[in-house]
Amino acid sequence: MRNASIIQFRHVTKQFNDETVVLDDVSFEIEGGKFYTLLGPSGCGKTTILRLIAGFIEPSEGEIFFNGKKINQVPANKRQVNTVFQDYALFPHLNVFENVAFGLRIKKMKKTAIEEKVSEALSFVNLQGYEYREISEMSGGQRQRVAIARAIVNEPKIILLDEPLSALDLKLRTQMQYELRELQRRLGITFIFVTHDQEEALAMSDEIFVLNKGKIQQSGTPIDIYDEPINRFVADFIGESNIIKGKMIEDFLVEIAGKPFVCVDGGMNPNEPVEIVIRPEDLEIRPEGEGKLSVTVISQLFRGVHYEAHCRDLEGNVWLVHTTKKIQVGDKLGLDFNPEDIHVMRFDESEEDFDRRIEQYTEDESLGK
Amino acid sequence: MQGKASPAAKIFLMTIIFILYAPIFYLVFYSFNSGGSMSGFEGFTLDWYRELLGDTRLLIIVLNTLVIALLSALFATMIGTFGAIGIHALKRSKNSILGLNSVLIVSPDVIIGASFLILFTIAGIRLGFYSVLLSHIAFSIPIVVLMVLPKLAEMNPSLIDAAKDLGASRWHVFTKVIFPYITPGIFAGFFMALTYSLDDFAVTFFVTGNGFSTLSVEIYSMARQGISLHINALSTILFLFTILLVGIYYVISQRSGLKLGGFRR
Ligand SMILES: Nc1ncnc2c1ncn2[C@@H]1O[C@H](COP(=O)(O)OP(=O)(O)OP(=O)(O)O)[C@@H](O)[C@H]1O
Ligand SMILES: [Mg+2]
Repeated sequence: MRNASIIQFRHVTKQFNDETVVLDDVSFEIEGGKFYTLLGPSGCGKTTILRLIAGFIEPSEGEIFFNGKKINQVPANKRQVNTVFQDYALFPHLNVFENVAFGLRIKKMKKTAIEEKVSEALSFVNLQGYEYREISEMSGGQRQRVAIARAIVNEPKIILLDEPLSALDLKLRTQMQYELRELQRRLGITFIFVTHDQEEALAMSDEIFVLNKGKIQQSGTPIDIYDEPINRFVADFIGESNIIKGKMIEDFLVEIAGKPFVCVDGGMNPNEPVEIVIRPEDLEIRPEGEGKLSVTVISQLFRGVHYEAHCRDLEGNVWLVHTTKKIQVGDKLGLDFNPEDIHVMRFDESEEDFDRRIEQYTEDESLGK
Repeated sequence: MQGKASPAAKIFLMTIIFILYAPIFYLVFYSFNSGGSMSGFEGFTLDWYRELLGDTRLLIIVLNTLVIALLSALFATMIGTFGAIGIHALKRSKNSILGLNSVLIVSPDVIIGASFLILFTIAGIRLGFYSVLLSHIAFSIPIVVLMVLPKLAEMNPSLIDAAKDLGASRWHVFTKVIFPYITPGIFAGFFMALTYSLDDFAVTFFVTGNGFSTLSVEIYSMARQGISLHINALSTILFLFTILLVGIYYVISQRSGLKLGGFRR
């Protein structure tokens, strides 16, 4: 069987003081050497998952495995996991060198070895020459790098990063996104990265877990999650989207705004009510009378790269459109899209059912051709 | 920060400080008087100091006072520091315990002294060095707690998680993270305890027995026997010593304060 998983959650539930359930029957697997992202709105339990992996808290129910061994009761200081905290949690009474050396000193490593490893770790994060600076003399971005160096110097199997970029300004943040991703590739250590910024998640991850209200909504590669969101929450949370009510007439044929359209989804009951997703960048503006839908522009905003327009169709559905063409409020236009731009979502479908169905109808499809 | 204080406010402040310090300077001034009383200054002399230094009984009392102050401050600091860490870790009962702590600080010395006297009598502890030491330790602990707690509260709790994350055992977390962080508070507590012990009259007066005395008790009994400029000389020395302590405390807190200022982002 697959034994590459380094961390495994089996039906993990966590509640604090018998109050609300913060994590509700969460199961997932993390493979070695990849960049994972936990993505979700504030309070959905991201930090709680990291704290469970780090060993600061224990699950109320369920099991956590590390390399196949159950580690529910293993204390934090005995786990091969290091954390980069949201506020970095650097030791203010120690300078940069001593902060990074902290873990090695605990391990009673030899002085020369410590010096070597610390300078190696600092050069990994481009902080050579900052050894004897006080933490208070470092900028936000530099502190973040010290925190990363302090984690990687211990050569852990997993590094947990709790929204490490949220305190940085946009530019530095983008730069650090590249650096982090690059660092992960060079080190080959598993990174579990927490963010509530969906763009960051899409840009950096090998695999994303989308969380909401203590449950994993969907997991998969950024492209999978963006193109095939499992439900309204994921579609709404990741990227911008038009989510419109529809009806699945039969396989590969869906009714939207009262009209039938060819699509690429299937495996549902005939005439099942569904929701469909079309991304605003997949909608194309056509002259009035052309395209698949007739709409009226009701608002428009200049966004730099593109215009963002809201258009209303004849059924009253509002469509968000990204276009580079200049349009006017009140214009009557046509909207066009391709069959593969339509993504159909069933109500209350679990991730397993979703995966099974997708597998099945893609097979049907290839058989049919 | 607001703008500079108005001249009127400055004058007011100076007046208050003058009024507070005037009696002390008056007392210090007459400690150099060659006339035997505080009624008229006749000439400069160091005789009173000389006599004090020649008085071995008094020297022993000075020594007692210092030993009591140092020992009680030391024990109180140790107990108070761990106490503060314990209180800090509490969740629900924290406030009530803090309340009890403050009550000890604000309650009148006379009551504390009297209750110690009752306690020692019941427990059969002989009044003398140990009873004084114990009571000084006891009344200093709340002060230390009060100085250390804010430092603990100021500490980012994720520092402790970070240390554990890096492999630190409980002991290492304490010695390598918590202790260095709260050191300024511990020092402040120590010096506060030291000055409280040196100052203390009421509690000591109750719990000291025959043959054991501290400076403040001694000054009191000298004053009762009649006015002598020995008292002035002795008080002057005590006053200077206190100023020295305050100076040390100030320097230490300044130094760590600078560093601490840097901690806060
Ligand atoms: N020690 C605790 N005691 C009680 N409730 C807690 C505790 N820690 C977290 N919670 C609750 O658990 C829920 C999830 O918290 P968590 O910190 O995991 O959220 P998060 O996804 O990291 O959010 P954010 O993006 O805001 O950091 C929150 O509702 C929070 O109030
Ligand atoms: Mg969080």
